[in-house]
Amino acid sequence: MKERSFVFILAFLCVFSFKVTTPWAKVYIDIESPSFRKFPIAITYFTNVGGGDKKESISLEIFGVLCQDLEFSGLFNLIDPSHFIEAGGEDPESDNDGKIDFNDWSIIGAEVLIKGSFCCNGDDLKIEAKLYDVFRGQFILGKRYVGNRQDLRRMIHKFSDEIMLSFTGEKGVFDTKIAFVLRESTHKEIYIMDFDGYDMRKVTDHRSIAVSPTWSPNGNKIAFTSYKKGNPDIYVKDLISNKEDRISRYGGLNIAPAWAPDGERMAVTLSVNGNSEIYLVDVHGKKLKRLTKNWGIDVSPTWAPDGKKIAFVSNQSGNPNIYVMDSQGGNVRRLTFQTRYSVSPDWSPRGNKIAFCSLEGGCFHICTMNPDGTDVRRLTTADSGNNEDPSWSPDGRFITFTSTRDGKKSIYIMRTDGNGQKRVRTFNGRSSNPCWSPRFH
Amino acid sequence: MYRKLSRNLLFFVLVVSLSFFLNACAKKVVQEEALPMEEPQVSEPMESEEERAAREAQLKEEELRKQREIEEAALREEAARRETKLREAFENVDINFDFDQFFLRDDAREILAEKTSWLLEHADVTITVEGHCDERGTTEYNMALGERRANSAMKYLVNAGVRADRISTISYGEEMPLYPGDNEEAWAKNRRAHFVIFPE
Repeated sequence: MKERSFVFILAFLCVFSFKVTTPWAKVYIDIESPSFRKFPIAITYFTNVGGGDKKESISLEIFGVLCQDLEFSGLFNLIDPSHFIEAGGEDPESDNDGKIDFNDWSIIGAEVLIKGSFCCNGDDLKIEAKLYDVFRGQFILGKRYVGNRQDLRRMIHKFSDEIMLSFTGEKGVFDTKIAFVLRESTHKEIYIMDFDGYDMRKVTDHRSIAVSPTWSPNGNKIAFTSYKKGNPDIYVKDLISNKEDRISRYGGLNIAPAWAPDGERMAVTLSVNGNSEIYLVDVHGKKLKRLTKNWGIDVSPTWAPDGKKIAFVSNQSGNPNIYVMDSQGGNVRRLTFQTRYSVSPDWSPRGNKIAFCSLEGGCFHICTMNPDGTDVRRLTTADSGNNEDPSWSPDGRFITFTSTRDGKKSIYIMRTDGNGQKRVRTFNGRSSNPCWSPRFH
Repeated sequence: MYRKLSRNLLFFVLVVSLSFFLNACAKKVVQEEALPMEEPQVSEPMESEEERAAREAQLKEEELRKQREIEEAALREEAARRETKLREAFENVDINFDFDQFFLRDDAREILAEKTSWLLEHADVTITVEGHCDERGTTEYNMALGERRANSAMKYLVNAGVRADRISTISYGEEMPLYPGDNEEAWAKNRRAHFVIFPE
């Protein structure tokens, strides 16, 4: 039922774009180049154009979400509103492009400006948001969102996504979710939440141990492992219909599902033949092909976005390390050599990096490397506890992971250069196994 | 008590012999007179040595049997207690492993030897061996490692003569830590194989 309302919101959150972006916006910024300098941005409080009182909370909430998203994007430096010269609360009706005095904004160093308005009647909420290039005194982008009061965060996330699109040429990922595992007394259940920790929903109620959630490529389903019937079996939950199927229940382990980019097949780990090996199965769990064949443990497959290769963990050398093979098996090559324990590979949606987790100096750290094993970079620092389970955002610009740096294991996010590390949210129990969703269409 | 009884018997025998003697004498001196002889005559027949010994032995036997019963009950109770203790130890004593390893350490082999003899004495019992890991490393690798640990323990038991069809295995990976701490002490105890007796 909850998942149904989730789709409901998707359908009714109407978006109107009311001016096409200017040619300026087509000049995209390479934010990964070393010479990249963050844009100073001024975010104003949105004005209430709908009348009624006590709407300050809405204005504050919009401001809060915008600040959070744009700060985390790594693209902008937020200018403290106390430096603003232009007085707030001017007649909102006159707030159009021609009336903005861009000098007021350039004088305080702003290069980018966000202004907007909202109208809230009962449960209905309408938000208009606009982005300006202060330097050129130009309107860049404007969007109108019509929906429910409770969709406010989603509306602003969508606007942040559009801002990212106009600056980088690729939509942001602020309207995506993270699936994860939460320990509740002796049980472990699967949940999903917004990337920033809001709107948490329970996916399983097995009162058992449910772990390793992973999204289908279209974001409609989640595959996971559960001990609901005693044995670790693989289940698939349809988030739209709420239907749940136990798709793989061979003897021994049925774990570590990973959807192929085509959404029709999965790489899984089975120990039905006595040793844990990676198999290709269809979405009903039927074995199509055995991909690994060695005496060691083979687990945790992750697909290259083109579907041609699979990275995985194997301890055929005596310790767990990351290997890569063709997606039909064969051509196996070891990628990690620098430490004796590397696990949890996750192939970036851009295809150019593999994130993994490595034991170094007694602690686990998040690292990235090229798909050929070169250019290994450690993203977490020595004093940050154990950091595990990396998962890429769908644009390949962020990584979610777990850390024990603040005590109990919690979910964190960071940019792929290791900057902007922050805890998403704290729960009563330990949280683990974060998996970032694809974009929802 | 026995002595008192024999004294009474002796007294009775004396009394009877004396009456015969008096009777014989009286024939000469006085007229015949019927004497109430029968009553004492028909009393208990004389007990032979063997009979007495047998009866005494029987009494003794009775006493010993009661004693034995009490002792046996105590022994049985003690054995049951020991049995419960062994059974509990079978379930409560885990074997531990080194980090990222599934080979059996010497201390694990000692514990497994005890478990083997218990299993051989209790041929009707079936068990599950659970493999567990500490909370570091991935969920998935640890599930596979836990399976290896359970299999190592099972292999030992089977090689030592326990029928393979009495043992099943399952891995819980890092999902069911015994101790919650994030330190080596807790991790070392969490890296374990745990033994569970199937309910009969």
